[in-house]
Amino acid sequence: MIKASNYLKPAWVRRQFELAFPLLPPGTSAALWLSGKLLAEIGGAASGLAEDTPGAQAFHLVLEQERVGTLLLSSPATQALDWGKAFAHALQGILDAEHARRSVAQETLESYREMALLQRAVTELNHSLKPAAVAASLLKEFDGRKDTAGHGAVFLRNPDSASLELIQSFGEDAAKTFARLQGSRLFAEMATREAGDIINDLPASSQWAEEATDFKALLWLPLIAHGENLGLLVLASRHADGFAAGDLKRAQTLSSVAAAALRNAQLYAAEQDMFQSFVRVIATAIDAKSPYTAGHCRRVPEIALMIAEMAHQADSGPFADFVLDEDKRNTLQIAAMLHDCGKVVTPEWVVDKATKLDHIENRIHLIATRFEVLRRDAEIALYRALAEHADGDAARRIYQERLQQLDDDFAFIEKCNLGAEFTSDEQVARIQDVARTTWRDSRGEAFPLLTENEVYNLSVQRGTLNPEERKIIEDHAVHTINMLSQISFPRSLRNVTEYAAGHHERMDGRGYPRGLKRDQLSIPARIVAIADIFEALTAPDRPYRKPGTLNWAINIMHRMKLDNHIDGELFDLFISQGVYAAYAQKHLVAGQIDDVDVARYLG
Amino acid sequence: MTEIAKIAIVDDEVHIRALLEQTLEDLDGEPEILTAANGAEGLALIERERPQLVFLDVMMPLMNGYEVCAAVRSNPDLAATTIVMLTAKGQEADRTRGLETGAHHFVTKPFDPDEILDLAREILQAS
Repeated sequence: MIKASNYLKPAWVRRQFELAFPLLPPGTSAALWLSGKLLAEIGGAASGLAEDTPGAQAFHLVLEQERVGTLLLSSPATQALDWGKAFAHALQGILDAEHARRSVAQETLESYREMALLQRAVTELNHSLKPAAVAASLLKEFDGRKDTAGHGAVFLRNPDSASLELIQSFGEDAAKTFARLQGSRLFAEMATREAGDIINDLPASSQWAEEATDFKALLWLPLIAHGENLGLLVLASRHADGFAAGDLKRAQTLSSVAAAALRNAQLYAAEQDMFQSFVRVIATAIDAKSPYTAGHCRRVPEIALMIAEMAHQADSGPFADFVLDEDKRNTLQIAAMLHDCGKVVTPEWVVDKATKLDHIENRIHLIATRFEVLRRDAEIALYRALAEHADGDAARRIYQERLQQLDDDFAFIEKCNLGAEFTSDEQVARIQDVARTTWRDSRGEAFPLLTENEVYNLSVQRGTLNPEERKIIEDHAVHTINMLSQISFPRSLRNVTEYAAGHHERMDGRGYPRGLKRDQLSIPARIVAIADIFEALTAPDRPYRKPGTLNWAINIMHRMKLDNHIDGELFDLFISQGVYAAYAQKHLVAGQIDDVDVARYLG
Repeated sequence: MTEIAKIAIVDDEVHIRALLEQTLEDLDGEPEILTAANGAEGLALIERERPQLVFLDVMMPLMNGYEVCAAVRSNPDLAATTIVMLTAKGQEADRTRGLETGAHHFVTKPFDPDEILDLAREILQAS
């Protein structure tokens, strides 16, 4: 329906009448009606010229073969009719021109509409790289619009099985109704079509009436990007005349953008998967290197994320401003998984060095053999003395004393080798004493009971690693930095190296490899350090000790806090928010879980 | 809305006036749509007709949109007039200045007809 009453301004028409009237015979009246509306009239008191007034001369105005208005004229003289004819002709010309102009304007407005829609869609649909979020943004363009569907759904094709899966939907009982639709022949048909379409008045369709009883009209569109059919958009209505061609056009505009965004999301997800699998390969390799650290690289991220989550939730205190957004969470997880990646180049005999004499093999057995040689030397000496008729009692006493001394020395060496206790300067002197004893090989050549290297290793005062080996271990942190800094992380993961490389730094700057201080380390880097220590202390099996209890581990960490080794504020958070307990429930064995006196460690 | 609403369009570009006018014809209640082709004419129109709603272009000869806006805002008789400023795409920075001079809403050109209609309905209903 053409609304011609908008085409002319009443004031303009009135002015035309006023200009013409003085030229017309007295008693003439005129009126212009457009689209059933009286635009202007003139002549006499309320001429009352209606479109159907008998006796009045009517000049019809037409647009697109439709009568849109009438110029009415009533006059005692025919001269007025000539004016009426000319004026109607002019009006028809103006209406024709105005109609043409308005058609062009309407086309322009439609382009504006589509442009605005595209602009918004490009922004809205590309704001996320998650397929479900893209689908939700697409549906949001249809949900709640008064002129379209009450229901909508996006199905995505599973790349492996090619079957369509419901990702997002809206509308009353959407999940159920779309599941029913998905089971229909109609849906199977829609899924195979290469172009979208509309079916209105479904109940009247001989073919589909029985198929989709929840809805009376459907609109669907395949989501195609780069020639690949990624899924299906379905809009459904409970009105028989649910959709018009304009709805399909609008849906096509949006779907083309959505499909491109979905493809980007899928490519991104595939990249992410590939990267994550590489990270897992490296973590698995490190864990597999030593039976003692199995699972370490898997568990440290878990603890680190638990601590970070608590810091994120804190709305007061030192972590009130700490935000764990998605990028930071991913970065922390990858960093925690890779924090020990430098260990792939550390020789495992150093990583696993359980005793001071470990060097691929525990060399205590060599020493035990030498002691055995000396014991037998003593025995030979005894029998030789007896054979030479020496004083038997004295010889036996000397023999017993010798055996006693050898056994004492070996027990001492064996104990030193474990490295479980601090080795004092006096004990180091005794090791050197023992080393001065000699033994002879089959060729009669004399050797010290302990080689220089053995003395050197046994003299390690704390733990089992000698300074060179400690350096090798500490170098893993350097290797971690070197390795990670060669990976070109995307912007969102650019902090992986910083988070991962600081786990052996100390708050007082006495850590390694860079000797960074607290304020030079990010909060996530400090979190990885605490997670690393806690996991190591509570790991079920370590070469140098039995699995530690919670209390024992936390007591050590508390001392580390007091020593300004680990971050005190993070330690407090770790304790006060029960992170240790939540982790223990999940990963520690019953014997390790004892009561922790939280109050003792806080403050 | 008991009386017929009045909407003014003040823009020096004829096609914008025509397109806005045609868009606003879709409003219910047949509001009276008035147009002016420059700032000075626009201000006179607003003072004379007191429309509830004005679509006001920023870049115009004689008086620019900010000046018209400031003049309208300084006139207490026109307190009920809501001003929607029309800015060119890419010049969203103009918004700050528009807000300072008392504009209520902003629409970028080329405008979204649906956005214009939603905005006009909302404003006319509130007034």
